[in-house]
Amino acid sequence: MKQHIFLIIGLILLTDIFDTISQLFLKSSINSLDLHVNTIKKALQFTWQLIRIPRVWIGFIFSTVSLGFWLFVLSKSDLNFAFSLDSMRYILITLASGLFLKEKISPSRWMGIICVVFGIMLVAAG
Amino acid sequence: MSSKKHITFKILLFLIFTDVLETFAQFCFKKSAMSGNLLGINTLSEGIVFIKTVIPSPFLWVGLFSVLCLFIIWSAILSKIDLSVAVPVASFSYVGIPVVSLIFLHEKISLLRWSGICFILAGVILVSMSSRQKARPV
Repeated sequence: MKQHIFLIIGLILLTDIFDTISQLFLKSSINSLDLHVNTIKKALQFTWQLIRIPRVWIGFIFSTVSLGFWLFVLSKSDLNFAFSLDSMRYILITLASGLFLKEKISPSRWMGIICVVFGIMLVAAG
Repeated sequence: MSSKKHITFKILLFLIFTDVLETFAQFCFKKSAMSGNLLGINTLSEGIVFIKTVIPSPFLWVGLFSVLCLFIIWSAILSKIDLSVAVPVASFSYVGIPVVSLIFLHEKISLLRWSGICFILAGVILVSMSSRQKARPV
């Protein structure tokens, strides 16, 4: 039973890590294009340019694997538990954005993200 | 880079819309999966049989189309704001869905859940404000 719970925790973390990686690939590709999207036509052109970047497809693969892990977790685990642990993704994405995308994470942004994570845990417990 | 990039009301609406569309896509996939062969999937060949029975379901295609739209909208959002802003602000669905289910479905929301909702709301406001500060030219 204990081993079971560690497996679930590990898989939830893997889900979040893979999801973070896919978002990083997508965002870094978008940053490399530097296009201003303000109409639907431009959004479609933008997407067309985007999907010709190989990194975006690597991101898709990570995102699909992440979804697979997540569906497996949901079939095995308590929903409340899974959702509250899954809120770790906000912390992972923030760390990764700061580290790899050089986004400036101000203290107030950190505060906000911690509030969001804490709030999700409360909602899941409620 | 100086045009970066504070969150506007329009972007917030698009972020909420991605949450709604995501929920809709999941609903469609669930519907299409239930229309499939429900005898249980244990082997690869049974998996292929399952996929074959699901492909004619219109829900599957509506779901896939929603995912395509999601990708386009999410990319457009990310072209305007930081990833570390977009992701936490998208957690607004944790606020929106309970409130909508309170108003329209008359579901009861516990005190614990209300306090969680308040924390998420406070967090989203803090993150949005931090993107505004950054937008100021130095």
